[in-house]
Formats: sequence, structure tokens, C-alpha cells
Amino acid sequence: MVWSNKRALWLVLALALVAMLAVGRADPASAVTPGEVTSANDLIQSGFASAHQAERSGGNVTALVADLNEAIQLVQEAVVQNATDPAGAAADLGNATHLAQAVAAESPSFGRTGLADRQATEETSIGAAVAVVSAASLVYLFGERVYLVVWLRLYKDYVVRPADG
Amino acid sequence: MALVLVTALLVFAAIQPMLQGNQERFSELGVLGPAQTIGGYPTSVVAGSPFLLYGYIGNHEGTASLYQLLVKVGNESTVVTNSTYARAPTILSYTHVLGQNQSVTFPLNLTLSQPGSGIRLVFELWTYDVTNASYQYSGLWNQLFLNVTSH
Repeated sequence: MVWSNKRALWLVLALALVAMLAVGRADPASAVTPGEVTSANDLIQSGFASAHQAERSGGNVTALVADLNEAIQLVQEAVVQNATDPAGAAADLGNATHLAQAVAAESPSFGRTGLADRQATEETSIGAAVAVVSAASLVYLFGERVYLVVWLRLYKDYVVRPADG
Repeated sequence: MALVLVTALLVFAAIQPMLQGNQERFSELGVLGPAQTIGGYPTSVVAGSPFLLYGYIGNHEGTASLYQLLVKVGNESTVVTNSTYARAPTILSYTHVLGQNQSVTFPLNLTLSQPGSGIRLVFELWTYDVTNASYQYSGLWNQLFLNVTSH
């Protein structure tokens, strides 16, 4: 009788240990912690700062903005589904983190492209302005002379006749 | 004289792409009713039962902006102005990045847990300040007074 009670006690303890291990493994491995959410939000803010800098350099950041919004959406979904689907929440948060990091990594190239485009635009504008001023100066200095020469060439065979002749 | 005028006009046209737009910079915040219109706002809701509103944010700041809309629950004595944000608990936040001249309309699924009269929902728009690496109160806010019944 004593032996049977001891055996039952060991069995209960063993089952409790297995249950605790199972719960302990399932939760922390897949559930999203508040710290991880904060970390993901920090990465999104960092990504936005990079995109903002790229835009100030003249880059078109429309695609980066879309990626950041997708990352924000994934974080919000992760928070909502954390209680019901911890693994899915963890996956969403991982994707959000990846997206935010990608935005931060890609932003400098967007900025460089924008800067190059802006420089090309400035060079074209300044070149056009210089050309206009140069042309105007030439017209001012030689315009009348050129006009007279052209007029003479056009009308060199023109004979003036009296109206009644 | 005509030559000078024509030259000036042509030079201005040539450098136009280099000139920055000198437009007023501002953001927009709106709270819309359940039909996504300005109207039809609830005046009374049941505690614990969700109700629907819509938020609207517009960006005309000249650059992309990271916005956060906070929905807070206050009462008639809650102070909120263009320079002071409400010291009241936040029940919902919505974050979104908008490019220049972009806007977004989004659902706000709200639930108030405590019954009471003169409950004041405060909607505040915060923008992310890259220099300070934190959200700053934009000074834009809106409010909705509600009676929250127990059933």
C-alpha cells in the first residue's frame, strides 16, 4: 500500500515536470515580449529617419514609405494575435524587423540617386540660364549689325522705283 | 528694354526646377463618424461594447512624416490645447507614415469600459521628430463628448 502511494506520487511529480517543461518551452520560444515590440518600433523609427534623410537629399522615398507602413502593420498584427497565435505573432514581428532594417539599409542609395538627379537638374538649369544670358548679350552687341547684313543680303536685288514711274 | 524683359523671363524659367516650393506646411487631423463622414457621431455608447469611428490624417509638410494618433479618455476638466496635450490615459494609438501630399483614412475601433456622463474622447496627432528621435505633440487635436451607459 505504501509502495503504491509512493509510486503514484512519483508519477504525478513526473507528469507535472513534463507539463511544466512543455509550457516553459512553448511560451518563451514563440510569444512576443513587450521589449521585442519596443525594439521593432525603434527600428521602424530608425528606418523612417534614414528615409527622411534620403528624401532631404532629393530621393523618391515612396517605396520606402510603403515598406515602413507594412512594417507598422505587421507589428500591430503581432501585438493583437500574440495571445492567440504566439508563433504567428513572432513571425510577423520578425518580418517587421526585417523590413525596417531593409529600409534603413536601402535609404542611403535612394539618397545618392536623388542627389545625383538634383545635381543634374541644377547643372541643366544653370547651363540653360547661361545660354540665355549669352544669347541675349550677343543680340545686344551684334544684333543690329547682323540684322542689317541679313537685310541687305535679302534685298540686294531690290530696285526702288518711283510710284508713278 | 524688351530684350532685358525677355531675357529675365527666360532665365527665370530656366532656373525654375532649382527653386524650392514656398508653400505653407501643415498637417491635417480629422475624426469622422461611422459612415466616414463629418457627422453621425455617437452621443451615447454602452460600456464594454465596441463602437466605430474613423480617423483622417493628411500630410502637407513638404516631406514624409511619421504620425501617431492617440485616443485618450478624459472628462470635462481634462485640459488640452494647441500647445498642451491631454494628461489622460491612452486607449488606442495608430501609427502611419505619409509621403508629401498623402492622406489616410482608417477605422478606430473603440471600447469604453467605465460608465459615466461627460466622458471626453480626445484625439491627438503626434509627429516623429527625427532630430530628437521622439514623437512630439503637433498641436492638432479633436474631441468627442459621450455618455457611457452601463447597458
